[in-house]
Amino acid sequence: MSRRERFGGALAVAPAGAAIALLFAGAVLGAVEASVLPIPGEGLSQATLDAWRNVFRDPALGDAIRFSVQTTLMATLISAALAVPAALALRDHGPAVRSIFSAPVPVPYLVISAVATLWLAGGGLLERALGFLPFDVVRDQAGLGIALVYVYHEVPFLTLLILASLGTELSQREEAAAVLGASWRQRLAWVVWPVIRLPMLVGTLGVGAFVFGSFEVPLTVGPTYPETLSTLADDKLSGSAFDGRAQAAALLVLVTAITVAITFALVWLGMRRTRRA
Amino acid sequence: MVLRGLSLEVPAGSMTALLGSSGAGKTTLLRAVAGLVRPLAGTIALGGRDLAGVPVHRRRVAVVFQEPRLLPNLSVLDNVALPLRAAGVRRAQRHAQARALLDDVGLGGLADRMPGGLSGGEAQRTALARALCGEPELLMLDEPLAALDPNRREGLRKLIARVQRERSVTTLLITHDRTEAAELGRRIALIVEGSVVQHDVPESLFERPATPTAARFFGATNLLRGEVRGGRLQLAAGALPVPGGDGEAVLCVRPERLQVGRGPLRARVVEAVYQGSHTRVSLDAAGLALEAHVPAGQPVSPGAEVELDVSPGALWRIPDADPAGVAAG
Repeated sequence: MSRRERFGGALAVAPAGAAIALLFAGAVLGAVEASVLPIPGEGLSQATLDAWRNVFRDPALGDAIRFSVQTTLMATLISAALAVPAALALRDHGPAVRSIFSAPVPVPYLVISAVATLWLAGGGLLERALGFLPFDVVRDQAGLGIALVYVYHEVPFLTLLILASLGTELSQREEAAAVLGASWRQRLAWVVWPVIRLPMLVGTLGVGAFVFGSFEVPLTVGPTYPETLSTLADDKLSGSAFDGRAQAAALLVLVTAITVAITFALVWLGMRRTRRA
Repeated sequence: MVLRGLSLEVPAGSMTALLGSSGAGKTTLLRAVAGLVRPLAGTIALGGRDLAGVPVHRRRVAVVFQEPRLLPNLSVLDNVALPLRAAGVRRAQRHAQARALLDDVGLGGLADRMPGGLSGGEAQRTALARALCGEPELLMLDEPLAALDPNRREGLRKLIARVQRERSVTTLLITHDRTEAAELGRRIALIVEGSVVQHDVPESLFERPATPTAARFFGATNLLRGEVRGGRLQLAAGALPVPGGDGEAVLCVRPERLQVGRGPLRARVVEAVYQGSHTRVSLDAAGLALEAHVPAGQPVSPGAEVELDVSPGALWRIPDADPAGVAAG
């Protein structure tokens, strides 16, 4: 790609990039301000890092980080692992089957969480119907319930992203590889994976970042302890501490910092790997 | 059902051209042999080995498709070495073999290039080298020249002929181009509506077509139907001496064998179109539409009344013809 083409491309995405940067930077700056000003409207003369100190001294922080990472990894990796075979199975089907499979995408997480609680929680409809509960996924200590709600929603989402990259040309190249002696595993690794890798990485990063920061699902189906970082922030906000609002803001800035750092690290690793290849 | 009652044998070490128009079933046959589709009935055998139930990647059948279908994320060298990689051959060995093949197809200098940087002809040569790299028992070429411009087509045609000859790899060429089929195939199988109607050497299909359809496909467009009496075919435009016994018959004559000048048939020139090497003349012989190719310099005017003759031996009596199915003379 020539320098002129690169410049043209950058110019084309500049308005969207600027809007995103403005919204993102505005939100982060607002959160940082809230984290250092315990009383809103008092001005910078009252700025203090007490809320940050309190957050880092809180023994629940370590468990919240671990639990957030655990549920995020579970939800994201299971979703990604299921989305690939789902996309490969769906590519030979028409719009009707694809639409049915994609139905969970527009359903709000809160609705899925509420239905999961209604059916799967202790004392819920499933337990009443069976007389016992064969598994424990609502408010479980491992966070499996949280992960499953996200998996239900994100597998179709990632599948749609992957399906968009599986065109006729890919099928033709798979056929070519097959007649040259490549087994289905080799075709998956050499033909399909290089094509779906990028949309899957981008989609998975998006899913991971969202799961890491969202609070409604862990609040509804997650355990009381450990909490995720976002539900810990919610607790701080609704708690009785004087600087609860500032601590909540500090926790959200922390969530953002971790998400951004992991995203940049993964993108950097991906680019380095691509350059080597 | 696309293929029915089809029987075709490709001699080991030779190149057979499977010729037919679009929708005749050529590509379906290729896909069935390659294992990309499963036939509802019938047997496909390779070297005496029944291929039923053998998965596509274990058939030892390589295909060069109309589009090169190279893997865009691999270099030209790695694309060519793909069959050896699939077979578990070590990197150094497979690269050495792939380089030798690339040299053979004239692309030795492009080994490290990515497929996106290749021209159409180079990409198709790469696809050919890749197909040969696994030393297949059967090589199938599916319209490999169709997407190329005439200059590159000629170069690749010569390359395919040379490679096939030197390696003696059993080859099935799929094409809709009768000239290409005649130039490359030692034998030609003409497929019409899912069945092979004639399988013979090229000269036979051009000069002695088995059916009127084969005659038309190979350019013997002048089909004459009539009754043979006393060794002469009686037509409204005149009578022609023909081989064989008396009775209803369908005969064909190629346009280049129909002579415009003096002869037993009378006709009127409908159209004369200069075509470089010759002039294509459309004729009306008492209601029978005929076509002749005359030397480019020969004066022929539309509307002129002319006489026609047929070169000795150029009139072929079609053995499997249904006289009712051909325009009457």
